[in-house]
Amino acid sequence: MNAHDLLWGMTPGHLPADAPAWVLDVIGAGHPVVVRRAQAEPGHVAVGVRGRLREQRFAAVMPLAAVRRRVVPEALCDVISPRNLPALRALAQLRTVLAKEIWGVTGSAGFELATGIEALHAQSDLDLLLRTPERLGRGDAEDLLAILDTAPCAVDLQLQTPYGAVALREWAGPSQRVLLKNASGAHLVVDPWQAVA
Amino acid sequence: METLSFEFPAGQPPKGRALVGCVGSGDLEVLLEPGTAGTLNIQVQTSVNGAEQRWQHLFQRLFQEQTPPALNIQIHDFGATPGVVRLRLEQGFEELGHD
Repeated sequence: MNAHDLLWGMTPGHLPADAPAWVLDVIGAGHPVVVRRAQAEPGHVAVGVRGRLREQRFAAVMPLAAVRRRVVPEALCDVISPRNLPALRALAQLRTVLAKEIWGVTGSAGFELATGIEALHAQSDLDLLLRTPERLGRGDAEDLLAILDTAPCAVDLQLQTPYGAVALREWAGPSQRVLLKNASGAHLVVDPWQAVA
Repeated sequence: METLSFEFPAGQPPKGRALVGCVGSGDLEVLLEPGTAGTLNIQVQTSVNGAEQRWQHLFQRLFQEQTPPALNIQIHDFGATPGVVRLRLEQGFEELGHD
């Protein structure tokens, strides 16, 4: 189970008593939840529930035994949508660029491709994930970012290293220390391919 | 999209400016520039509506430990967690100190 995986099987009974009404609605409707980068008790996984509005995000915990279906971001690379939106055109364009890599679709594009539920709109960014078990040089990061920035919408690509995720945009930039996100939180690090001390 | 303004008591303005952070989901971009002695102004442009109280509390906690320098801070937030906001602000203050 990794951050950004989509999980089906959560029911309103798994939610805390203080969960807002919209959370009960989407879980009751059978929408999947998204695995979060956070620690959970044994036998559980930290998940996020997404609603229709941008501020509708709810952190919850799901028992592993309840998981009925799981879709990883990599499984969504080749899903074709009938909708015509900048984020989907960007995805079509970047498929060839990333063809030799291990990559996936996350965020609202991933959610829409996995469920068929409309989550994207004309202003949506495209969120991508690139698995980088080996270090990606900062020069190579700059080259890749230059290609992504020719896409028809803003592309937010996260590099998934063995120790967490770092934004390609920041790794390609001038800052000496960059933000690495993992299950224990966020850290400023010089090398995202090194274990956080 | 919402723009929020905050003001806190501050010390003297620093000499330099700093830009830290990153445009992208779950992150924020922070621009720190010298302000008027005694005042720290913060403008937050955020994609998450209805979070004014959360920002107010976060800044209060951050600045009660130590009086901040006099700055004009502009924040572009893309749904960062409080932990990330705190790290980015600390990074910004540190970079100011280096100049």
